[in-house]
Amino acid sequence: MARGQSKPPGGLSSKRGKRLNLELGPEDPIDYKDLELLRKCLGPQGQILSRRRTGLSAKRQRELKSAIKRARHLALLPFVG
Amino acid sequence: MSTIYEGMFLVDNDAVRSGWQGAKSTVVDLIQKHGGTAHTSRRWDECKLAYPIKGKKRATYLLTYYEIPTGSIASFTRDLEINETVLRYLLLSAEEIPEEERTKSAAEMDADFSVPAPPEDDAPEVVEEEEEEAEASAKDDSGAEADDEAAKAETVPASEDTEEKKEGE
Repeated sequence: MARGQSKPPGGLSSKRGKRLNLELGPEDPIDYKDLELLRKCLGPQGQILSRRRTGLSAKRQRELKSAIKRARHLALLPFVG
Repeated sequence: MSTIYEGMFLVDNDAVRSGWQGAKSTVVDLIQKHGGTAHTSRRWDECKLAYPIKGKKRATYLLTYYEIPTGSIASFTRDLEINETVLRYLLLSAEEIPEEERTKSAAEMDADFSVPAPPEDDAPEVVEEEEEEAEASAKDDSGAEADDEAAKAETVPASEDTEEKKEGE
């Protein structure tokens, strides 16, 4: 970024996409049955979004990863597409 | 030593159509067979699968909280693998049984409770028949084309022979 220009809000450039607002409290569990939440954290091809996009801590991102993988195993979410 | 587990079982809709209680009892009986007790068991959802499993496009999810001796888990999962009614399963250890699950499971025990019949659009046989018909028609077309080519191949040397004869003359 050139000098004198201000950073975009949220610390993300517009090319990288906007950070999600998951409305998830620090104590709220990330469950594999909560498909509404999990679908928000998937990309258009079904890939898990990065921490940069989800805005979660490392620990919570691991919980999210486990929940999505459990849901995929039960065919609640797709592996691809 | 017994532990509380949360189990999500993917039950075949063909078994559900013949009776929800019977389909549910196949899982609950397996738990009891291995020395466990099912505290709650209820129909979680019936929906289209994200990808087909054993040719099935739809299935019913059965959510149970049960207690089973830790030594029986291996034999229990082996029986689940053999069972054809259970398409897939997920077993997780749980700290406690949620109160919400107890109320919902109790509601399923009421006489008024009825499970809606799963829709009929998960039958794989129809799709297979259509595919077979399509393959058969494709083979017929290709067979006809091959015959035409063979006929052309036969005619070409004959014409060449005639040309050679003409040249010889």
